[in-house]
Amino acid sequence: MKKILLVEDEKALSLLYEEELEREGYEVVVAYDAESALEQIRKEKFDLIITDIRMPGRDGIELIASIMGLRKDIPIIINTAYQSYKDDFMTWAADAYLIKSSSLDELKNKIKELLEKSSS
Amino acid sequence: MIKRFGLQPLSFSLESSKEMVLLSIIAQSFFQPFSLDDNLLVILTALTSGTGVGFNRALLFLKEGERLQARMWLGPRSPEEAQAIWSMLSTPGLGYAEIVEHNRELVERMMETLRPKLKLLSYNLDAPEVKIPALAAKNQEIILVEEAREEPLVDDNFRNFVEVDSFLCLPLVAKNEIMGEIVVDNGITHAPITNKDIELASLCALLAGNYVYTTHLYKKVLEMEKMAALGEMAAFISHQLRNPIVTIGGFTSQLLHRPCDQEKCQRNLAIILQETKHLEDIIFKISHFLKITIKELRPIDVRPILQSIIERPDLKLKAENKRLILRQAEELPKILCDPVYFEEAIVNLLDNALDVTPEGGYVYIRAFPQNRKWLRLTIKDSGPGLDEKMREKIFTPFFSTKENGTGLGLLFVKRVMEMCAGKIEVQSKPGHGTLFKLYFKISEEKVKP
Repeated sequence: MKKILLVEDEKALSLLYEEELEREGYEVVVAYDAESALEQIRKEKFDLIITDIRMPGRDGIELIASIMGLRKDIPIIINTAYQSYKDDFMTWAADAYLIKSSSLDELKNKIKELLEKSSS
Repeated sequence: MIKRFGLQPLSFSLESSKEMVLLSIIAQSFFQPFSLDDNLLVILTALTSGTGVGFNRALLFLKEGERLQARMWLGPRSPEEAQAIWSMLSTPGLGYAEIVEHNRELVERMMETLRPKLKLLSYNLDAPEVKIPALAAKNQEIILVEEAREEPLVDDNFRNFVEVDSFLCLPLVAKNEIMGEIVVDNGITHAPITNKDIELASLCALLAGNYVYTTHLYKKVLEMEKMAALGEMAAFISHQLRNPIVTIGGFTSQLLHRPCDQEKCQRNLAIILQETKHLEDIIFKISHFLKITIKELRPIDVRPILQSIIERPDLKLKAENKRLILRQAEELPKILCDPVYFEEAIVNLLDNALDVTPEGGYVYIRAFPQNRKWLRLTIKDSGPGLDEKMREKIFTPFFSTKENGTGLGLLFVKRVMEMCAGKIEVQSKPGHGTLFKLYFKISEEKVKP
């Protein structure tokens, strides 16, 4: 089973993503801030990371930079409410930049696509 | 040995040369608040005051679209009025501010009857045949008209309006663009217009052209700032609203499309309700922020207000395991503000300060008179401090370092300070905490013991 790390500080929203992604057949680990996300990455191996950009403590962009430093081969999806960060070159390092939507189809499709690419 | 001189020479000595007086009048206008009408009035004053260039009257045109439109006329209407004004203006020791003030009143008084007449003095600069006075602006050249009665190039309407034979047309130009025109004459004394008058007047016209130009630029900048703020606001609102909307949408879609047991249905509905409340809260905060208006500044006694603020339960809860310390002078003068907004502003700052202060840290709030005019209130936290980039941004709308911050808190404080005619300064360095300094105007009224 593919393992996804979800970094999302909004409790209700992370619950939604967790349930929806588990239904798709993934194992989901939730981290509520960047620090604990990094801790998880050091401890376990993930197939994909989904992260928001602005969170308490270290922000998502820094997190991505740190993850890239730790493990370069994990695909990263930025899933955020902030459209404006799309132009921030730091976010270019991510494999996809999605704007949060109440339909999770785009997110699910992106996850599938990236996982297929990385396993091939 | 040192000698001291005031920054603004307030009166003109009658022995100073015309050039000196003219330059000093115009230079002093830079001390005045930025207003196109006032600055143009200064130029017209410089052109007409007996101690300046010394024309009797000056008529100002501004370019509006493709038209040159008369806007303001300064000068006496009759020899008697002229006599009264000139004797008043040549009072020894009369300051620049008084002259401008006098002229402002004169213009306002005259404008009532003049406005309909000035409205008729409007020229299309794109017309195939442009007459004087507009010709000077169109060709960007100074035109001296003598024996206007005989001159076919002079517009009849204009001739009838000024009722004078000799006048000087000064185009106002900046960056090769026509801004307007000033027409000066000696309609009262009928003194001849000399070459020296023309030289000095052209200097005034040069400055006036640039005044108009910078005012246009300034307006554009304001417009752009407004648009930028609007854009930021739209971005902020859209991402503030997006999280709750996505949550509501997502859980509703689960309810609609998938069978779920009673417990899960209840849970989803509870989440939806909670997010709806969150949305309401965001909307409330935004509208609350947009609504700040202080109708009347009142003398308020800050001592009891500050004391009650630090005893507020919400702040006390936040200050758990931290220390919130109030230090204030035994006696404080009253300040000018609105008590409700004052309290909200201070609570906002303390709230931020407590948020960033780690456990065991301190937040100080101090209130002491700075001098006879200002009361200084400072709030210091022992948080991580701000780097230069953040320091620049803290007052921008919707900038926030907090997870659920609206980015309106400090802006609110700033707006309140502006409305109380006070000042706010911030001092901060990474690793050294942040210090906010608020200066409030002291009210004349004394605090009764």
